[in-house]
Amino acid sequence: MRDTAARLLDAAEAVGAEYADCRVVERTTQSVTVKNGRVNNVTQFEDAGSGVRVIVDGAWGFAGTQRTDAVGLEAAARLAVRIARASARTAVDRVLLAPAAAVTAKYTTPVRIDPFSVSLDRKIELLLAADTAMDVPGVTTRQGSLGGVRHHQLFASSEGSRIEQTIFETGGGLDATATAEGEVQSRSFPNSFGRQQLTGGWEIIEEMDLAGNGPRIAEEAIALLSADLCPEGRMTLILDATQAALQVHESCGHPTELDRVLGFEAAYAGTSFLMPDMLGSFRYGSEAVTISADATSPRGLGTFGYDDEGVAAQRTLLIDQGLFTGYLTSRETAARFDQSSGGTVRAESWNRIPLIRMTNINLEPGTSSLEEMIATTEHGVYLETNRSWSIDDRRLNFQFGTQAGWEICDGRRTKLIRNPLYSGNTPRFWNSCDAVAGSSEWHMYGVINCGKGQPGQVMHVGHGAAPCRFRDVAVRPA
Amino acid sequence: MRSHDELLAIADGILERASAQGEAEVTVTESATALTRFANGGIHQNVADRTQRLRLRLVRDDRSGVGEMQVVGDDATQTLVDTAEAIRSHSPHGEPVHPIRPDGGADTDTGYSDVTEAVTPEERADTVAMLCAAAEAAGQKAFGTYETAVTSVAMVSSLGLRRAARHSVAELIAVCRGDDGSAYGARQAADASTIQAPALATEVTDRCARNQGATSVDPGTYEVVLSPYAAAEMLEYLGLIGLGGLSVLEHRSFMRFGERLMSETVTITDDVRRPELAPLPFDGEGSTTKPVTIIDRGVCAGVVHDSVTAARTGVTTTGHSFPQPNAEGPLPRYLCLQSGEGDPDSMIASCVRGLLVTRFWYVRPVHPLQTIITGMTRDGTFLIQHGRVVRPVRDLRFTQSIIGALADVRSIGSERIASRGYFGAALAPWLHLGHFTFSS
Repeated sequence: MRDTAARLLDAAEAVGAEYADCRVVERTTQSVTVKNGRVNNVTQFEDAGSGVRVIVDGAWGFAGTQRTDAVGLEAAARLAVRIARASARTAVDRVLLAPAAAVTAKYTTPVRIDPFSVSLDRKIELLLAADTAMDVPGVTTRQGSLGGVRHHQLFASSEGSRIEQTIFETGGGLDATATAEGEVQSRSFPNSFGRQQLTGGWEIIEEMDLAGNGPRIAEEAIALLSADLCPEGRMTLILDATQAALQVHESCGHPTELDRVLGFEAAYAGTSFLMPDMLGSFRYGSEAVTISADATSPRGLGTFGYDDEGVAAQRTLLIDQGLFTGYLTSRETAARFDQSSGGTVRAESWNRIPLIRMTNINLEPGTSSLEEMIATTEHGVYLETNRSWSIDDRRLNFQFGTQAGWEICDGRRTKLIRNPLYSGNTPRFWNSCDAVAGSSEWHMYGVINCGKGQPGQVMHVGHGAAPCRFRDVAVRPA
Repeated sequence: MRSHDELLAIADGILERASAQGEAEVTVTESATALTRFANGGIHQNVADRTQRLRLRLVRDDRSGVGEMQVVGDDATQTLVDTAEAIRSHSPHGEPVHPIRPDGGADTDTGYSDVTEAVTPEERADTVAMLCAAAEAAGQKAFGTYETAVTSVAMVSSLGLRRAARHSVAELIAVCRGDDGSAYGARQAADASTIQAPALATEVTDRCARNQGATSVDPGTYEVVLSPYAAAEMLEYLGLIGLGGLSVLEHRSFMRFGERLMSETVTITDDVRRPELAPLPFDGEGSTTKPVTIIDRGVCAGVVHDSVTAARTGVTTTGHSFPQPNAEGPLPRYLCLQSGEGDPDSMIASCVRGLLVTRFWYVRPVHPLQTIITGMTRDGTFLIQHGRVVRPVRDLRFTQSIIGALADVRSIGSERIASRGYFGAALAPWLHLGHFTFSS
C-alpha cells in the first residue's frame, strides 16, 4: 500500500500537482440473505484500487485505478493532473485548503469478534432460525440478512500524512410482510432498509436477538392488515428512536452539509435553508433539541480515526439547545470561512472523490422517557419504523410514513393503526419538540443507503437517537 | 476499453478453472466513467475512473455460491474461484437458481458509440464552458454535470453461454439559477455527438428567466402539464412499484391483467430496441432482453420476468434479470410511454387551471399497491390559468396515485426525451393530466 501511495504522489507532483492525496483501499463485503426458509444469496465481494486527487492551477482533478503496476499508477496520476488542468479552464475560484496537520497514525475499529471469523454455517443457521420464528400463518414473505464489511485504507498526502485505518461493520435485520386484498404491510427489526448496521464485530449480532423478535414483527404485520387507518388532523406525535434517527438524517444532517450551502450539490442533492448568516442566531429547534456531529461515537457508521482528507475525528455541535451553531465541513469549504475542517469528508470507494458526508449526527439524549411522554399526552399517535421518506431540495418540506403506529388517548397507548404519514416544515417541527428520552433509551442506528454526489456515492452514516415528542403536527393516513 | 474478445478471454480463463466445481457462470464487466461537475458557473469536481469487475456463480449438489471481485492481478482469478467454492460448499442444500442455457439471441452494440468513449476532459470542459457562458449572459449561474461512460459486459457459462456487448451513455444535466429561482434540463444519449448542448442551454436559461420570484399557490387538486423529465420519473416509479414478475407473485403489484386501469391513450412498453436508451441486449443471467408490452391502450398486459419468476409464472423470461440469485426480482429497464399528437403549447392552451411541472424530486412510494407516491416539484413550477402560464409558483409536495393520474389523460406529446433511470433509462413525452393532488 505504501509503495502504491508513494508512486501516485510522486507521479502527480512530477507532472505539476500543487497538492496531491491518495487513498489505497482494500475492501471486503459479505452478504447473506435468507428468504422464506431458503438461503437466497451468499456473496463475498473483494474490491481493491486507488484514487488520486490533485490540485493543479487551483482546480481539482481525480482519477481512480485498479492497477498496481508503476505504469498504471503513473498513468492515473497523469490523468488526474490533466483533468485538473481542464477544470482550471472553467473554474470560478481557486481551491484553497484549510490547514491540516501532517499525521502518521493507525486506527482500527474496536472489534470483539471479527465478523469474517464467524463461519457461514453459523450465519445461515442464525438467519434460518429467525426465518422460522417469523413463519406465522398469514405472513407471505419473510426475509433476513446479515452483512459484514472490512475496509482497509491507507491515506497519504503530499503534505506528509500517512494514515492507515481498518474499519469493520456488522449488521443484520429481518422483514416480515403480510398481504391481503388491497393491503401490503411489513414490519422490520431492528430497523427498516434491510438491516441495522454498526461499526464493530459479530458481538453486534449476538446482542440483537433476531429470532426472539421474529414472532412479534410477524404478528404485527398481520395485525396491521386489519388495523384502523391512522387518524387525520393536527395532533401530538411521538417517534420511536429509529424514526427519530431518520428525521435527524434528512432534516438536520443534510441541511448542515456546507457543500450544499455553497451550491456544490445544487443540480442534484440540492441546497440548504441553513445559510451562513443564520449561524449562532437561528432557532432551528426548541431547547430540548441538541444535535451533534460526532465521529467518535462508539459503534456509529460514521466513526473513524481520520476522515478521507486526513483530518482527525471530532465532535461538533450543529444545534445547541435549539440554536443553529455549526456545519459539516471539509478542508476546502472550511477555508472559505477561515475555519479548520470539521473532519467530515469521506468517499464511498477508491474510485470516488471524497465529499462532505454525515459522520454520526446524533440527537443528544434528553431527560424524559417514552413512558412519560405517552402518559402526558392527551391525544396523539406513537409511530415506529420508517416506511417512506421524502424531503425537498432545501430540506424544509418533509413527509414521512412509518410501518406501524398506535393511537394515544388520555395518556395510554391504545389501538394499532396502519399507513400513518406525518408532514411538516423542518424548523417549525423541531421547535415543536418538547421532550427527548434519556440515555437509557438512546441508541445508535445505521443508515446504509445515504446517497449524494455525482457519480453517485452511497455512504454508511450513523445516528444516535431516542424517542421524542412533537406537538401540533399534521398527521394522516396514506 | 478492452475488446469483446479480450473480455471473453478473461471470462474463459475463469471458467476453465471453475468448471470442475460444477455449473459455472462468469461475468466480466469493464467500465470507464468520466464526469465533470460544475457549480456557480465553473467546474468544481472532475473525475474519471476505470474498473473491472469479475463475478463467478457456482452451482453443484444443490448448493450455490457467488464470488465477486473488483481486483486486478495475477491472483485474482484463483481467489475468485476459491471464494465462490468456499461459499458454495458452506451453503445448505436447497433449490438453487441454475445458470440458463443460451437462448440464441444476437449480441448487438445498439446502445454504444465510440464517439462517447472518445470524449476528452478538455471537450467536457468546453461544453461546460459554453453552458456557463450562456447562463452568465442571461444573468444566471450554471450548475450541473457532463458525464460520459462506457460499460462492456462478457458472460460465459459451463452450459455454453457466450455473450458480449457494450453500451455508452453521455448525459448533460444543467440547472440555472437566478437571484430568485432556478430551472432544470437534461439530455442523455448513447452517442455524445447527438446531444445538442446549445439547445439545452437555451431551454434552461429561458425557463430560469421565467421562474424568478415565485409565489405560493394553495395545495389542492390541479390539472398538470408534466415535462418529459417529470413524466419519466413517474414511469420509473411505476416500474419499481409493480412491473416486475416477483411483485406480482408476492401480491405487491397493482397489475390486474386484462383490466383497464389507465386511459386508452396510454401504452407503456419496455423496449430494448431504442438506441437512445443505451440498451444492453442481455440481462444479468445472459438472457436476451425482449420488448414487453406492459400497458396496452390502458389495459394491463404484462410484466417483466427473469428465469425464476418466469418459471413460477409458467412463461418464458423477458430478459430483465439482475445477476442471480437475488431477492429483488426482475425490473423494467427501458420503459417507454407511447407518444401522442400533443405538444406543450396546446396542452397549456387547453388547461383551465393547472400547474406546469418541470421536474419531480425525492419521489418515494407511499402505498405501492395503490401506486401512491409522494415527492416535490423542483426547478421550474408554473401556474396555468385559462390557457396561459401566468406566474412561477413555489415548489409543492404531491401525493398521488400514478394509475389514478394516468386514468385521466388529456393529451400526450408527440416528441419524447430519454432520461436516465435507476437501472436503465426511460423515454417519455409531455403529458397533460386531468388531476394531480398537491398535498402541501
